[in-house]
Amino acid sequence: MKKWAILALVMMLSVVSVFSATIVIWSSEKQVDFMKKIGQQFTKDTGITVDVQMVNYGDIKSKYLTAAQAGEGPDIIVGAHDWVGELVENGLVESIPFSAIESDKFAESGLNAFTVDGKLYGVPYAIEALAILYNKDYIPEPPATFAELKEIAKDYTTDETLGFVFDAANFYHAYGFLAGMGGNVFAWDKKTGYDVNNIGLNNEGAIEGLKLITSLYEEGIIPQGANGNTADSMFKEGLAAAIINGPWAVADYLNAGIDFGVLPLTELELAPGKYGKPFVGVQGLMINSKSANKAFAKEFVINYLATADGIYNFYIADPRLPSRNDVTELIKTKGGPVPQEIVDEFVKSAAGGEPMPNVPEMGSVWSPMADALSLAYSGQLSPAEALNDAVSKIKEAIK
Amino acid sequence: MKGLTKFLIWSVIGLINAALIWAVFTIFSLGNYGMGTIIAIFVIAADWAVFSPKGYPYRYTLPALFFVFLLTIYPMYYTFKTAFTNYGTGNLFSREEAINTLLNDPSYFYEPEDGDILNFKVFVKYDDNFKPTEDFLILLKNGNDYYLTEKPEILKYNSKGQLTNAESRMYKIENDTVTINTNTYSVMRSETKMSESQALIVSIEDQNGKRYSYFYGIGDPTVASNSAYYNSVLREKYIKALEINYQAKKFRLSSRNIYRNFSETYRVYDISVKSESKGERKIYKTVVVNKLTNREVVENDSAFYDIDTNGNLKRLVGYIDNVGFSQFDKIINDPKISGPFLKIFIWTFLYALLSVIFTFIIGLVLALVLNDKNLKGKIIYRTLLIIPWAVPAFISALVWKNGFFNETYGIINKFFLGTFGIAPIKWMNDPFWAKVAVLILNTWLGFPYMMTVTLGALQSIPDELYEASSIDGASPWRQFSKITMPLLMIAVSPLLVMSFAFNFNNFTNIYLLTGGGPAIPGANTPAGSTDILISYTYKLAFDGRGQDFGFASAISIIIFIIVSGISYVNFKISGAFEEVNR
Repeated sequence: MKKWAILALVMMLSVVSVFSATIVIWSSEKQVDFMKKIGQQFTKDTGITVDVQMVNYGDIKSKYLTAAQAGEGPDIIVGAHDWVGELVENGLVESIPFSAIESDKFAESGLNAFTVDGKLYGVPYAIEALAILYNKDYIPEPPATFAELKEIAKDYTTDETLGFVFDAANFYHAYGFLAGMGGNVFAWDKKTGYDVNNIGLNNEGAIEGLKLITSLYEEGIIPQGANGNTADSMFKEGLAAAIINGPWAVADYLNAGIDFGVLPLTELELAPGKYGKPFVGVQGLMINSKSANKAFAKEFVINYLATADGIYNFYIADPRLPSRNDVTELIKTKGGPVPQEIVDEFVKSAAGGEPMPNVPEMGSVWSPMADALSLAYSGQLSPAEALNDAVSKIKEAIK
Repeated sequence: MKGLTKFLIWSVIGLINAALIWAVFTIFSLGNYGMGTIIAIFVIAADWAVFSPKGYPYRYTLPALFFVFLLTIYPMYYTFKTAFTNYGTGNLFSREEAINTLLNDPSYFYEPEDGDILNFKVFVKYDDNFKPTEDFLILLKNGNDYYLTEKPEILKYNSKGQLTNAESRMYKIENDTVTINTNTYSVMRSETKMSESQALIVSIEDQNGKRYSYFYGIGDPTVASNSAYYNSVLREKYIKALEINYQAKKFRLSSRNIYRNFSETYRVYDISVKSESKGERKIYKTVVVNKLTNREVVENDSAFYDIDTNGNLKRLVGYIDNVGFSQFDKIINDPKISGPFLKIFIWTFLYALLSVIFTFIIGLVLALVLNDKNLKGKIIYRTLLIIPWAVPAFISALVWKNGFFNETYGIINKFFLGTFGIAPIKWMNDPFWAKVAVLILNTWLGFPYMMTVTLGALQSIPDELYEASSIDGASPWRQFSKITMPLLMIAVSPLLVMSFAFNFNNFTNIYLLTGGGPAIPGANTPAGSTDILISYTYKLAFDGRGQDFGFASAISIIIFIIVSGISYVNFKISGAFEEVNR
């Protein structure tokens, strides 16, 4: 008899569970603490609890895709604008009315990046683009042209130090040169959006751009096998004269005590009249369209996180360029963790850059391009051949 | 002591029951009825086996059966099922769910630009302790007109118990009274000197004197402290999905104005039934209609498409559909797969075979050395040799990739070759050396396993055999080839076959070390020089435009057939299980 009683008790306990409305947010490390704080304010105001969970940035999208389609998963994710295309196609991201946010306060490029078919699918909080960082101990004044940069770099390329190194095998980092010379991923038109059948990665400009980077390998400036880690760690130790990196890395270099300047890629003259044009990435807040709490999630995002104060907090936690123009002013008066002149230079690079396409087809571009870059750098194919190969692979994959 | 043991046993049984019953409920609520039923049956069967003396013999077989089902049969069934669908990016939900989304999801609602916008206030009945109850009225204001609606009575929930729709009707307040159904409400205004119609409404009373007091209005600082109750209880339970009807107009909390007021909101899509004559018979079909354009939504290629004003198709939402053998068809007919297939297959085979051979030879030699009775410090050697096995393969792979095989900075090129002035090896860029690198890593990771199993098998060979043979004058080599090897192979050969099958699908090492690269110049498929079948499949299914689970399942069935075929032949040739069967 007793055993049945125990069993019944345990069964009862298992069935009873508590329901209450909670907004779950998946975010990567740096933003968690302040979002929790803002979440507490929201709970105080509305009685809805906010649970900020830390998920590795690289895992957020894939985990979210699995969880959201099962009707589980977070109500809000913090991520990059190039996820939007895939999420929209899957119907897993909620659109946000332009009228609901103060859209005139946001940088246009940030809103465009989260727009698919005329609808907004995320609220941007930061905009980022690559720039050249140069160590002032080696290079007191930034070079104006690519040829100049190469000359300087050669002087400092020794067994111990490197003159100019970056993650060139990564298409994201190489694109600034390809696009600067006239290449582009997909043709874009303000009205019709991206034309994924019109790929400009093997046009004359792209080939010329790749030739520039390949010359760095041929002349021994970038050693074979050097990658982003090499660039990052050598610059941090003061062993690299110039690298390419984004605003996310700046805090580390400041902490390492490096005295460096920033040269926007858009101010480096690659060839007469042609300037670098990096990818512009936008970080933002997206809402789960399958969530039962999406209305609350929307309110939290719009009224608490995407306000001038909220985005200023994002900036303090993770100093990338804020997506709101009024926050740029706020930083000027209130200050931030990064010196103003560094922020300004990155802003210039982002302003002149090109938004990374947010169509799902972009997913088919990365690995053929990575293949093409490494084939070209190792000299197995000429830049033109490598890019032609890549484009035919991309076309094959998109078909 | 005995009592405590008993208590612990019962607690464990209770906890297992609780966990499984919870799982059954969760799985049912997710709509997976097959899986839920099976687990429910298992719970009942397991409890019967535990509590009934008759079920005693099944106590030990049931858990085994359960795990065979859960870990082997169910995943296989699921893979098989998925292989015949188009499940993947853009096609994640069932057709029913897709239609449901179009009909009921607020994202597909439409707020006309010139529609009425109603501000609202919530009035609540307090209980005897002056606590708000869930009995409420909503007062709405349009221009100078006031309307009243009661707490919704029609409430619809989804399978998870979440509110999906609530409906109520609102009535215009005239001369400060309004009749809704059987109730007549009268409005009480604050006593200010303002003219009658402008004075603030503070409470509403029905004919029985039941009083509803002003509780919450958005943006009103005097009631801001009630915001939590409004949001977390009233709005969450009723108002968030409330549709208020007034004549032909429908109002919802406005998503355009972030839920600060009610606005005219209509569904864009509706379903209707269309009859189609097919020969003699008439068949009826549900179709989705866009109410704004009055056009039927096109259903094509497992997705719904809307036609815009220019006649262009716009994809709305896709659904999972049965596509029969088309995934298999794709594998056979797509030049992306059939083109590089043979090349990849040969390398996969070589990769698995060479991995087994190298790990076995190295493992065997080390085991023979360790098995030598004259060797001192065996434990230390053994521990050191097992390290590669103990370190997670993920970490080893990355250490090898960046620390050993890097073309400029790697230890091998920089120190070993550099010191002797040999040109650096292009580990990651030369197809041959990339293959060598993959094999080196795999051998490093695999030999401790082979060493351990061989060592065990060696120790089971009786010493008498060696003593007898040495008396007969057998040389050490003869002893090895005639005694050690034959007896060893009986124990080890099934493991070799299994190791082959494992390495055939050893995705992680390839993925982490070379990512399948280096790329093959001039190829127009993404196949790299070190891609094995499974890593190439991964590239095709997941490394492009989203995820393609249907395709991945189909190809994994093919790989399963290949691996099991090869393993079968291997077992036959090596006679691996003969000893066991005898």
